[in-house]
Amino acid sequence: MKPFTLKLRQEPPQRVDLSVLTPDRLAGLSPAQIEKIDIGVTKFSTKVGDIFEISPGDLKNLRYEGGSSRFDLIGAKLLPEFSIHVDGDVGAQLGRLAYGGRITVTGSAGAYAASGNLGAEIEISGDAGDFLAAPLAGELSGMAGGRVIIRGSVGSRAGDRLRRGVIVIEGSAAEDLGSRVIAGTIVVLGATQGRVGYLNKRGTLILAQCKDLGPTYLDCGAHHLTYIGLLGRSLESASANAARLLSRKLRRYGGDTSVYGKGEILTPLRG
Amino acid sequence: MSKATLEGKTISLEEAYRKAADILRSARFPLIAGLGADIAGARSAILLAERVRGAFDHLASEEILADLDVMRSFSMFTTTPNEARVRADCFLFVGPGLTKLWPSMVERLAPDQSPRHGAQAGAPRKIFWLGPDASEAKGVGALSINAPVSEISSLLAQLRATIGGRPITREAAGATPAIAEIAQALKSAHFGVVVWSASAGLDALAIEMLQGIVADLNVSTRCTGVPIGARAGAAGVTQAAGWMTGFPPRTAFGRGYPEHDAWRFEARRLVESGEADAALWISAYDGEPPPWSRADLPLITLAPAGKQPGHGLYIEVGQPGVTHDAVEYAQEIAAMTLRKASQSTATPSVGIVIDAILAEISEASSC
Repeated sequence: MKPFTLKLRQEPPQRVDLSVLTPDRLAGLSPAQIEKIDIGVTKFSTKVGDIFEISPGDLKNLRYEGGSSRFDLIGAKLLPEFSIHVDGDVGAQLGRLAYGGRITVTGSAGAYAASGNLGAEIEISGDAGDFLAAPLAGELSGMAGGRVIIRGSVGSRAGDRLRRGVIVIEGSAAEDLGSRVIAGTIVVLGATQGRVGYLNKRGTLILAQCKDLGPTYLDCGAHHLTYIGLLGRSLESASANAARLLSRKLRRYGGDTSVYGKGEILTPLRG
Repeated sequence: MSKATLEGKTISLEEAYRKAADILRSARFPLIAGLGADIAGARSAILLAERVRGAFDHLASEEILADLDVMRSFSMFTTTPNEARVRADCFLFVGPGLTKLWPSMVERLAPDQSPRHGAQAGAPRKIFWLGPDASEAKGVGALSINAPVSEISSLLAQLRATIGGRPITREAAGATPAIAEIAQALKSAHFGVVVWSASAGLDALAIEMLQGIVADLNVSTRCTGVPIGARAGAAGVTQAAGWMTGFPPRTAFGRGYPEHDAWRFEARRLVESGEADAALWISAYDGEPPPWSRADLPLITLAPAGKQPGHGLYIEVGQPGVTHDAVEYAQEIAAMTLRKASQSTATPSVGIVIDAILAEISEASSC
């Protein structure tokens, strides 16, 4: 059965809140009813029908043909066994608090992509903005499950307060990667900038490019760690380059000793 | 005599209020930014934002939110400057330029005097400074570690590890032996006080590390902090926003109820992305210009005399505590205070101007 499709008619005149357009929330509604849903966030109304042309189909697979950096909250609270595909860019808070399911984006994502993700598999072919998988203001933890694959680069504070799950960034990461990480795993294949793993409690950061890690990460020697090999094998289909990095002998730096020192940064041996 | 201009031409105040009301009422998503005002001005500005269903942001939000993010997602020990002055037996100053950001800091905290209360009353205080400006540390007799502001977060990490008895790299320990001395002094102090300012260049992560140090020390002794607030009435405006909406600046009423999002409602981003289609810029203290570069946005500026912008509608306002009496948050007592006008004039305050604009808006709408 063909997917339920939302084809972009025009760039939205304001940011739009698409959290209402998840498969479970659209079930039982006719196309005419869906077109009347208000997705605007200002005093002027913007309705689904103003922005999208709807082609009904299997609601388990939602497809956006055409994206916009103003499309916020796509796939928010997505449930397991549903999937959303976006052919284009998305705005802020993609997959916010998603319980499960799969979200794929062919373009780039805005700030707070995968924020508070609880179990979804999220793949972004382009770049992601600042605060990837991070908590919103005032929340105590960031992403707490699932897997996020970014083919491009990410903005600052990626993986902030990560609690569980795996993030793979094939490009580079801006400042403060893995800040305040509680637990979980972040793999970066490109360059990183500034502080890395600042206030990291017990998370694992794996960096393809070694750099100065500051005074609170201590060299623990080079190892073939069994669990890193297993993690690498589980990533083979999602990111072959990440899998290759994880199969190598890696030097382990324990830290951040300013907090508990139970976290680690792994990088390939120099030279 | 107060004045208003439209594209440089003088117009009457009544006409200016009407014109401002027109701009804000017809905008799809107006922005009330700058917010450099006293409490009365902030209250009127936030009411106006609610009335026209726009967003509001303060010109020093970056610094406000650095402290606030730590308070709302970690924890924050603070005390008043007075309590610090009478009880502290150990001061740790963090960051450059604190005496410029708070000119009466040395007078109010009196680090050179002994604490009056507590077990250490009468004994000289220990004073340390991480990354001070050139002559600043000597002025208060502090033992300082000179470092650029970019290295302060790393020194704080080192200090926290040392206080907790956890290891740091041998190179770092050798390069800054004073860290071990500061750690020992804070641990053996009866009432340690750390003084910092986000405006000195400390970001939320560095402040979280600093407050982590304070929290760790409180397991075995007493330690607390004195934050130095940001410019243009930032601390008072934040409190007013808090009691009016439940949120700090970078909050919007687009859907009719307040929503806070520090990324979405940042003034510059809203203007440069085209999401905001009109702006009211308020900077009553010193007429600081807006941070955006777009000149085609319908703009209303409230600023003191001599700070007229190159374009748009300008309404002259008085300076809080200078040309009119003003209630504002006072750094020296960590509370609201009434500042009497030092050179009283008839120039209207931000509160009066915005109330007049609000009256025009209510006049024109049918409700």
